[in-house]
Amino acid sequence: MNKSKATIITVLVTLFFGYFFLYPVFEILKVAFQDGSENFTFDYILNVFTNPNYLEGLWNAFTIGLTSTMVTFLIALPLALASYRWIFPGKKWLTILILAPLVLPPFVGAVGVKHILGVQGALNAFLIDLGMMSANAPTDWLGKGKFWGVVMMNALHLYPILFINILAALNKLDPAMEQAAQNLGASPWTRFRKITMPLCMPGVFAGAAIVFIWSFTELGVPLVFDYTRVASVQIFDGIKDLSSNPTPYALVAVMLFISALVFSLSKLIFGNNSLGTSPRPKARYTQNTLTGFKGWLLASAFMFVFVIAAVPHFGVLFLSVSGDWYGSIFPESMTMTHYNDALGHPVVVGSIKNSLIYSLGATFLDVVLGVAIAWVIVRSKIWGRNVIDTLMMLPLAVPGLVLAFGYRALSQEGESFDFLVFATGNPVILLVLAYAVRRLPYVVRAAVAGLQQSDPVLEEAAQTMGASPRRTFKRIGLPLIGSSVAAGAILAFAFAMLEVSDSLILAQQTEHYPITKAIYALLSTLGNGHELAAALGVWAMIFLAVAIAGAFVLLGKRGGNLFKL
Amino acid sequence: MDAVRISRVNKTFGQDVVALNNVDLNVPEGELFFLLGASGCGKTTLLRMIAGLEKPDSGKIYFGERNVTQVPTHKREATMMFQSYALWPHMTVGENVAFGLEERGIDGDELVDRTLEALKGVQLEGYEDRRIDQLSGGQQQRVALARALVVRPKCLLLDEPLSNLDAQLRMEMRGEIRRIVKEYGLTAVYVTHDQEEALSVADKIAVMNNGRIEQVGTPEEVYRWPRTKHVASFMGETNMMKGKVDWIVRDNEEGYVVRAISNAGEILQGVVTDKSWKPQVGEMVVASMRPEMVKFDDSGDVINQVSGKVLQRVYQGATIQYLLKSVDGIYLQVSVMNPRKLKEPGEQVSITARQQDVVILKP
Repeated sequence: MNKSKATIITVLVTLFFGYFFLYPVFEILKVAFQDGSENFTFDYILNVFTNPNYLEGLWNAFTIGLTSTMVTFLIALPLALASYRWIFPGKKWLTILILAPLVLPPFVGAVGVKHILGVQGALNAFLIDLGMMSANAPTDWLGKGKFWGVVMMNALHLYPILFINILAALNKLDPAMEQAAQNLGASPWTRFRKITMPLCMPGVFAGAAIVFIWSFTELGVPLVFDYTRVASVQIFDGIKDLSSNPTPYALVAVMLFISALVFSLSKLIFGNNSLGTSPRPKARYTQNTLTGFKGWLLASAFMFVFVIAAVPHFGVLFLSVSGDWYGSIFPESMTMTHYNDALGHPVVVGSIKNSLIYSLGATFLDVVLGVAIAWVIVRSKIWGRNVIDTLMMLPLAVPGLVLAFGYRALSQEGESFDFLVFATGNPVILLVLAYAVRRLPYVVRAAVAGLQQSDPVLEEAAQTMGASPRRTFKRIGLPLIGSSVAAGAILAFAFAMLEVSDSLILAQQTEHYPITKAIYALLSTLGNGHELAAALGVWAMIFLAVAIAGAFVLLGKRGGNLFKL
Repeated sequence: MDAVRISRVNKTFGQDVVALNNVDLNVPEGELFFLLGASGCGKTTLLRMIAGLEKPDSGKIYFGERNVTQVPTHKREATMMFQSYALWPHMTVGENVAFGLEERGIDGDELVDRTLEALKGVQLEGYEDRRIDQLSGGQQQRVALARALVVRPKCLLLDEPLSNLDAQLRMEMRGEIRRIVKEYGLTAVYVTHDQEEALSVADKIAVMNNGRIEQVGTPEEVYRWPRTKHVASFMGETNMMKGKVDWIVRDNEEGYVVRAISNAGEILQGVVTDKSWKPQVGEMVVASMRPEMVKFDDSGDVINQVSGKVLQRVYQGATIQYLLKSVDGIYLQVSVMNPRKLKEPGEQVSITARQQDVVILKP
């Protein structure tokens, strides 16, 4: 690749990245660590740790993160191992199906959960029907267990990330490692404990770090559950008096530090450890085919996980078509009026349009930047391309909440991002940028993986055959990495459509609301707000389902690669 | 005229990995020209430089009269066949072959006709709609060849084209490649580390070592008259014995014949192949003789006679390989064609070689 082109791309992307990612983060830290006369101070950070409310919020966020990660691990590990070792009926579809919850918005699902686990919810109605609960003293499941509610929503949403990472680690494992242990007389359990598990740790930790950061800073679910004693919600509430109070900045800084610490630890300890793996294992693990009862048992286990993960969303579906769902197992009557109402509701229609514009814009930006920078990382030989590679992964370590907060602070009047907001306060550019920056790693990763898999010799061959570099890229390079890039782009698009923190924090006026903020706004509307929110949620899920199904059609048999991070 | 001319080309990778060191090379038009050497000798770098995939640090590359040093790959008309074949997995066999034609703006009937003709030329008629992963290794190799040939390149470049094939197929394809290259009247540069392949297929061979070209010549020249120790040992088994020059036997336009005496007093007499070198009396030299140029002989002829003991005998049907240990303690190989009587391990023997079969080299 042309060196000057590579340099230009690197400089442009680094500038973009520096200005729209590093700079906002830096600005937050500045406010958090500088007092009125611009001297360095720890006071605001100390304020956070001496304020019992903030301390409790942080502690809750931290334990939610930790517990969610552990529950996620408990769900993902058996699934990944089973998928690695055995072939069972319907494996191909079930493996894709259990990945689906990753793109089902947990924030929307939480609305469903409220109607299932609430005081007048379906579960209580069911227990009362069975006579196991008194109708006069129903249990308030969520009231007591908001913490566990958030944990379960996180775990059921995020386990696919860990599943993919563990499975990838297993597939990279040289089967000879296990066979050697077996050959020396190790039992299956010993083999797993002493060989397989230790060798998979890099994959487990890489996934676990992302899951932890995600659930540690999750905003949508606690908000819907009215779980205010958690740091993310406290920051969200703190935005109202942004200019006068530096403490929210300090709280954001603390969350950023914890996230960055977890991310670096996982990279430092396990980052470059490639023990026992071979980039292209000579032999694949020979999977045993489970037939008959055992096979179906395993298949139903996979199905069960999916159903459990989807229950909240079934709740949403029921809610969206219910005429009346109060104190009964299933809605008393079915109606489509909410869908009609939703489509007639100005906020709803506008939000769908807005979300599509924001997400498509962000995805387009990501694809252009991601492919260009992946090209530099894999194909050029310019200095510092490894630094760029690491830099591009940073958005995974920085919580969306932090970045959204930074953008919000910088887009105030007189600040440096002010020019990005139109006089009308339209946050379209701000949101496209915020969505794009945080989803860039997925596209870069996908494009890098695609490029690494396609041998540069294939491009050289085209050039010796008389194709110019541009033609080579068009006819050979792009088609070969196209499916990887498409997968990354779809993932980026899906995540952008469901984005919570940026959307809630940056969209101020009703006419600019994206879907998630519209749902949030509808939830606090009296009357049929919940049902309308659910209907909008279902619309959102339908959009995503169509997008992802389209991607599968596009990718053909390689559809399984869609979710490989 | 020379189809390809390389002039004083240098290439260094990183700080200090010298891939090519002041290389000069002329590839005559219409010849099947081999670059032969061990891995890391710079032969693939040189080939990629001819293709335009690497740029020289200094020096020039000419295609005929045209200086192509700064011409990008896609404008050189030098098609390459890669070691891994580099067939595009997202295109069919036919699409792979047609690619170069399309890039040259050829379409319609001509495109189809020439594609099918090229496939026919490599005996893959009817394979045009197959996917690449439906082909065997040998078939993929043929597709790669057809793809490189179909555009009628000025120069065909082959980078170890047979290294991924099994032994049987490799033998077949050697002849096949030579037949096709000659049939098309192409100039071809062929890179390999397999000296047998080079000897049996090449018109000319350039033997490379450490980024330099050590010798260029016909297969017979490089095998029988190696000019350096490296060429002598790389081109096949050989026996090397050291000695001190005591007489310049012949000194005329045909070259030098030199006599040297080994430590054990054996008289080594042979031809100096390196024209730029005149050994002096008293200088240490190396005499190289191929195992099959040596025969058992105790007639008392003193020139090139070495005595020793048989250590080992390997029966190979058509030939028998003996391993001897000379009086001096040097191990020697002797290869004998289908003899009536075998020597036994432990037996004392004498061997000899004719003066014209012994090459005197710089130590």
